Amino acid sequence: MSSATLIRIALGAYLLIFFSYLLGPLVVMSLTAFNSSAFPSVSPWACFTFEWFGVLFEDKHIRDGLFYSVLIGIGTVLLSVSMGLAASIVLTQVWPRFRSTYYTMIIAPILIPGVVLGISTLVFWDRVGRFFGAEDGSFFYELFHNGIFLTILGQSSFIASYAMLVFVARLQRFDPGLTEAALDLGATHTQAFRKILLPFMRPAIASASVLAFLASFENYNTTTFTIIDYKTLTTVLAQKVRLGINPSISSLAFIIITLTVFAALIFEAVQRNKSRKDAMRQGRLKPGRGVLPGFLRGNPAAIILVLLSFFVIAMVGTAQSYSPEQCKIRVKEARQIEIQKRIEALQKARAEERAKAAEEAEDAVPAAPSPSNSGAFGNVFAPGNLSGEEESEAVPEPAPQGGSGAFGNVFAPNNLSEDTPDEPEAPQGGTGAFGNVFAPDNLSGSE
Amino acid sequence: MKRNLPFSEFFRNNGPVMGSILIGLVAFWLIFLILLPQLSMLDYSFRFNLPPADVGGPKDVYTLSNYEYLIYGSDESKQSFNTVDLKVFVRTILAAMVVTVFNIVLCYPLAYFLGQAKGAGVARLFVVLLIIPYWINEILRAFALRIIFGETGLLNEALMFLHLASEPIDFIRQDVALYAGLGYAYILLMLFPMYNVIESLDRNQIEAARDMGASWVHIHRRIVIPHAKPGIASGSTMVFMLSAGALAAPQILGGPSSLWFTQLVYQWFNDSLNWQQGAAYAIVLLVSTIAIVLTFMRVFKVNMGDIGK
Repeated sequence: MSSATLIRIALGAYLLIFFSYLLGPLVVMSLTAFNSSAFPSVSPWACFTFEWFGVLFEDKHIRDGLFYSVLIGIGTVLLSVSMGLAASIVLTQVWPRFRSTYYTMIIAPILIPGVVLGISTLVFWDRVGRFFGAEDGSFFYELFHNGIFLTILGQSSFIASYAMLVFVARLQRFDPGLTEAALDLGATHTQAFRKILLPFMRPAIASASVLAFLASFENYNTTTFTIIDYKTLTTVLAQKVRLGINPSISSLAFIIITLTVFAALIFEAVQRNKSRKDAMRQGRLKPGRGVLPGFLRGNPAAIILVLLSFFVIAMVGTAQSYSPEQCKIRVKEARQIEIQKRIEALQKARAEERAKAAEEAEDAVPAAPSPSNSGAFGNVFAPGNLSGEEESEAVPEPAPQGGSGAFGNVFAPNNLSEDTPDEPEAPQGGTGAFGNVFAPDNLSGSE
Repeated sequence: MKRNLPFSEFFRNNGPVMGSILIGLVAFWLIFLILLPQLSMLDYSFRFNLPPADVGGPKDVYTLSNYEYLIYGSDESKQSFNTVDLKVFVRTILAAMVVTVFNIVLCYPLAYFLGQAKGAGVARLFVVLLIIPYWINEILRAFALRIIFGETGLLNEALMFLHLASEPIDFIRQDVALYAGLGYAYILLMLFPMYNVIESLDRNQIEAARDMGASWVHIHRRIVIPHAKPGIASGSTMVFMLSAGALAAPQILGGPSSLWFTQLVYQWFNDSLNWQQGAAYAIVLLVSTIAIVLTFMRVFKVNMGDIGK
């Protein structure tokens, strides 16, 4: 084997490990959203179900959290994007000697731990409120102890740095001659800003806004300190995950993952379409005829996007009509059988134990003659042993004299009644070799 | 803006209205959102935790007791040092370093592969694949790992199925889940800066080195890594700071007996309602992590200006 092949194999294995580390947990989590088992898991797969989506949509905390998350996200976008834009413009004009210090100052918030930012925001505005001599209930007190207001400030303090980085990259390509020309032609500074710089920055503003919104939406470390009385989606999730989990969180994750995949694919498809059109305009690409419409040609992202949309529509359609009740009953039965088996195994073990004990006892005291027939194994196998209390009325006649086997009434029906499943048929007074030994009430014989 | 306009004429260059708006926004950000909050937290950390009535009164004096508590513990305790909290602190810092190194090792080959990949299509697909987990909520990512590492989780089931383990391994208590989760949470902040710098490396340099007989190790040590240094530094700084300051992953994936330093801060604030003590702990965390980052930057000769590129 040549070393080139070896390297290729190693690279392939490495890529596989890397991407399974990165994507594997998300896939597993998505799968748990469709398992009917009450704890999020995949390995004992019970039933395919959509019920957790229903549970999710019913959850009031999550809906409230979503509302406040969006509200805070919008506020943070407005504040952080404008601060980031201003900071990046100032960066281009600040004294060259001062530039690196200034850059350090505006980049530092990214590096400050979110916990610290949250605490400092909380502490500072609490003090500002006190400085104004605000009493409980007054406007300032309410404002400076309002979770939404504080969270927007706390998040903006570092999200503005992210926005600033986006703007700096774009500003490097701006030609200040344009602004100068506008000013020479009689525009005011505000007009020049609005008509020249802002349109030029528009793509950067759009991407910075998306970035800021997402960063705000998923922030936890800062928010958990500043949010006080309110809840954002992230803090609700954190609380749920810490206290007790059910797969409705997985279904939320599945929705978010699907949306992310869609957004990524749309972005990619639009990019490819644009570059294809550019190529066509420059005459590098002939608008050939094909089976696929132009949008999809040479654009795998768009094709995947269309397929995925069909898949999601089909899934939502299925979810409306699909009902896993049948399967759930089966799973329940299977579990009951398993429980029964376990109980029987336990009983057998106990019976053997008892048998030993009884043998020893028999050596000492001869067994009392019993009127009823008693099999060697007594009532071990009496079906009623496994039955619940509620079925006792189904027993037609109490056995007049319960058989007393060597094992006595150890296995009397009610011994195990608590966690045993329903038994459809109650035993009749038995006949045959084992006779009515199996009668459920045979403990009476030992009186 | 390529031309340097003199900053002293800022208002003339931008007009009085726009100039004031720009300066006002930057000033608001740096002063009211960064500087004053940090200073007031620092101030808080030197004060006693007093009932509201005593605040501003004669008892409201500066003290070092909050910091002393971190080092020596309370007066009642028998031990001479606050071993519990100090241990948590050291563990947090060391574990954050380990996570950073782990991420460098894991990301470097991929960043190199993506940065130097010949076909743009494959690299682009990988980048899209990478961005997807990046936008999933931090909590949900930790939750995903919890499903895998839990006692009845996928990993345990798989190990039992393969007869590699006879009974469930408690990955959570062993902190395996926590380290995996921290490495997972910020891995892309390591990858993308590395990828960006390696992408800008001229492939001819590598070809030339190879033609002259440089070994594979040599090429990386002498050409790729020196070129990628700002990216590695930037990624490491972010991963280290974020891991040391992480709260969600330790809360969700941490074992019940082992805490992360941020969890102590959280407890002081939310459970004990002792903001002063919490602020002192937060200051310790902030100062020590920044000091560590600056030390490493000095050692590896990296500038602050490289961060965030």
